[in-house]
Amino acid sequence: MTIAYEAVIGLETHIQLNTLTKIFCSCKADSWEDEPNTNICPVCTGLPGVLPVLNEKVVEKAVLLAAAMQANIQDLSFFDRKNYFYPDLPKGYQISQYDHSLATGGFLDVPVPASSDTGSDAYVRQVRIHKLHIEEDAGKTKKEKDRRYVDFNRCGVPLVEMVTEPDLRSAEEAGQYLIRLRQLLRWLGISEADMEKGNLRCDANVSIREKGSTVLNTKTEIKNVNSIDAVKDAIRKEIERQIKEVEKGNTIKPWTLDWDDNAGVLRMMRSKETEADYRYFHEPDLLPLVISPAWQARILEGLPELPLARRKRFMEEFKIPEYDADILTTERDLADYFEETARLYGGDAKKISNWLMNDVLRMRNDLGKSMQELNLTPAYLTELVKLTDDGKINSTIAKHLLQKVQESGKAPYTLVEELGLAVVSDDGAIRSVCEKIIAANPAEVQSYRDGKQSLMGWFVGQVMREMRGKADPQITQRVLKEILDK
Amino acid sequence: MMTELTDYSAFKLADLVKTKQVSAREILQAHLQYIEKADGRPGSLDGIPSADDDKKIHAFITHTEAIALRQAKQVDEKIAKGEDAGLLAGVPFTVKDIFCVKDTPSTAASRILANFTAPYTATPVARLAAAGGLMLGKVNLDEFTYGSSSESSAFQPSPRNPWDLSKVPGGSSGGSAAAVAAHEGALSLGTDTAGSIRQPAAFCGVVGMKPTYGRVSRYGLIAFGSSLDCPGPLARTVKDAALMLQVIAGADKADATAAMKDVPDYLKDIEKDIAGMRIGLSPDYFRITFPDPESGEYVEQELPTEIQDAVYRTAEVYKALGATIVEDVPMPNTRYGIPVYFVISRVEAASNLHRFDGVKYGYRTPEQVKDLTEMYRRSRGEGFGLQPKLRILMGMYVSAAQYAEQYYQRALKVRSLIRNDFEIVFDPGGLYKLDALLTPTTPTTAFGMAAVYGDSVMMQYADQLTVPANHAGVPGISIPAGFSDDGLPVGVQLLGADFSEAKLLRIARAFEMATETDEWRTKKPIVLEGE
Repeated sequence: MTIAYEAVIGLETHIQLNTLTKIFCSCKADSWEDEPNTNICPVCTGLPGVLPVLNEKVVEKAVLLAAAMQANIQDLSFFDRKNYFYPDLPKGYQISQYDHSLATGGFLDVPVPASSDTGSDAYVRQVRIHKLHIEEDAGKTKKEKDRRYVDFNRCGVPLVEMVTEPDLRSAEEAGQYLIRLRQLLRWLGISEADMEKGNLRCDANVSIREKGSTVLNTKTEIKNVNSIDAVKDAIRKEIERQIKEVEKGNTIKPWTLDWDDNAGVLRMMRSKETEADYRYFHEPDLLPLVISPAWQARILEGLPELPLARRKRFMEEFKIPEYDADILTTERDLADYFEETARLYGGDAKKISNWLMNDVLRMRNDLGKSMQELNLTPAYLTELVKLTDDGKINSTIAKHLLQKVQESGKAPYTLVEELGLAVVSDDGAIRSVCEKIIAANPAEVQSYRDGKQSLMGWFVGQVMREMRGKADPQITQRVLKEILDK
Repeated sequence: MMTELTDYSAFKLADLVKTKQVSAREILQAHLQYIEKADGRPGSLDGIPSADDDKKIHAFITHTEAIALRQAKQVDEKIAKGEDAGLLAGVPFTVKDIFCVKDTPSTAASRILANFTAPYTATPVARLAAAGGLMLGKVNLDEFTYGSSSESSAFQPSPRNPWDLSKVPGGSSGGSAAAVAAHEGALSLGTDTAGSIRQPAAFCGVVGMKPTYGRVSRYGLIAFGSSLDCPGPLARTVKDAALMLQVIAGADKADATAAMKDVPDYLKDIEKDIAGMRIGLSPDYFRITFPDPESGEYVEQELPTEIQDAVYRTAEVYKALGATIVEDVPMPNTRYGIPVYFVISRVEAASNLHRFDGVKYGYRTPEQVKDLTEMYRRSRGEGFGLQPKLRILMGMYVSAAQYAEQYYQRALKVRSLIRNDFEIVFDPGGLYKLDALLTPTTPTTAFGMAAVYGDSVMMQYADQLTVPANHAGVPGISIPAGFSDDGLPVGVQLLGADFSEAKLLRIARAFEMATETDEWRTKKPIVLEGE
């Protein structure tokens, strides 16, 4: 009998906050475009005698995240020194939070879609948060031949470290957690959350156990994964490796593994038999962090409705399918756009959803713009959809009009007038074109009258072409039928 | 004997400059000439001892003549234009070489920073300069401030006591106290982590004040015990110390631990009478408790009579001025000051020394190394002297995960007990309602060069009477109160409640005025005699 295994996965994420300046000095936080060691000062390079001064914006953004994760925000927390030597750590200690961190507890409900691979249905995995704290980022080192180079630009970039409980059970779940976290961070506007740029970094702790068991076995830690796909790949490979080891009768060692994205393999960095002693103690250079009820209330005024809640509300309030609601809540400005348009429109919101998902999103992506930057405002989109509803324009024209509105910035109604795009529903005008077409195609007329009724479509097409698409299709068909069936 | 410009107080010098009786440049020249004569060679790395070393003060590590000349020129220009040249217009000062000053070597008296030139200026130094002060140079200290004699400096010769050149000036602000006592600048900026301003001030017969923690910004002070370090003034008179504190105190956006509290006018009421004030005496400050070097057992010892007498004489003066002397004030946790300090300061020091790794600045081993770890080990091994190494070892040990509860966390608890002692006696609604506690500053007068050096434990016990104020964060001031039989200065200390600097200065000034005409006030340091 074969044993069924399940994976036990916890994720440790480091989130770079998108504040203007670093956490303890006034250097700008983002130095993605900068040459090495050009965005530094005495404080972030740890010169003798310097002192950190806390950037309150960091606290505010971290509190927003904590609130979004339903975590308990502590009114009193402390900064601690985490002491260790590394060339990218100029003070020889990282200012972090240890036993009294900004927030504890909390969770994220992660919807896991149905999978055709495993045949599983969609479900929701609740991932609990163990701890959430703020700290400073370190610099970067690189080795070239026998030399080692250090870049301090990243020193002091504000980070939130968020650690989950070991609640994830598969690589797919880990991937979904990261997708939802990334969505949330962007939604809150607190991080760019771009894994490729290192705005969002993830270490994964992986162990396996017999399915149904509740023990926690020895785990390995996977580091240096910089995309969601890589996290999934690495976890999948590590689960396979651990199963193989266990089945061979070997024990799992608490290794730290390094993910090599190019080769798609895990390499052992170090064995972690003994825990490093960081000799944590409260940072005497900073005051205890006090978040007064008034400050917290002020911060939380900026907390928007969260994506998953909004997704649910869209389904209930606007009666759109889950699939639509999911897409429309991937980004906050898209959700805002949809909601505004749907309210202005007042009719079947699914129509608005279709327009957004089929045409507006494609157009926006082609233009590389945000929803707010579009000339096609929610008011214009509403007007356009109403024009089609009223039969003023047909759907082909409507798609064309969408582009014209975006290009010109003019209202759809104005453009319909200016460009003469309105549907022709004048019976006489259509009748004269129909007669002309019938007169010019005696062979097709004969075939139709001999019973090839399917030619009706062809006749309508000819009329449409002649009238550059503006003929009302129903009137056209009725008139053609009248003449042909005579 | 003619009064030279170097003999004037800071107060007087600023007045002379502002009333155009003398220029900043003249004051500077007088000091530079005098220093050249009196100070001797500055401390240097691998300075070879010479018999002549015992004839001079050796307060300096770096002379900053060019900076001082530029500052003097600015002051004189402002005066010429009728502008406000600042509270310290034309007043020469020195800076303990634990402060970073832009474009000057900022060594911490350590080999590991001997080649470090700071790219920025510490807040208190910048404030002294902005107030019209003239920076004469950076003065010597114990390596990284770790000591009480200034002998552990990597820059030798280390400073001598101006009253007796065979004695130490104390430490760690030994260069500061020696310079001020020897008239090499009216003021000096020191730091006090366990007594490093007050103890050398007492040894050298000058005034030294440790302000309330956070009263003066630490930005630019190369940290020792970050929760204990206080920059503060050393001066020859109480009014000069007040003047200097006025300039350096106050909030600083570069130091989150600097108090936001307004700085009062320290000079306004400084000469008001002290009648009705309550000044306490505590038996716990008249004895020291220390481990016997042989047995390791704690032994209690009464302070030498001449030290005790100085305190009682001072109390008599206060009584005569109308103050109430409150005796038998219990300060039961005083005896734990040093053990607690051993733990807390070492944990912070070990961490603060982490950054000196040979990677970015400072000393890096010239040897070929096989890897990063060896570079760290060699650079730190060769760059640090004995004291930093001892403190790193001790600090690492007592903060290690398996010992932190037993030592570090416990020390923090005892520290709050020490703080509590002060809160009780200064409580305006309490039993004692003290305005100040009067104590000896040091258990002994200045000891001989090399007499205690080498015994790191006993050296530490020189701070037993000063360190409680650092634990509690309260202010303290040491003022000269006479001389021992062998002609060495004796200091007494006044301790007060948080931010009571103005009151302490006023009480200190009252003693100074009351004893102005005393015979002992006419004594001059040996280096100034025969001029």
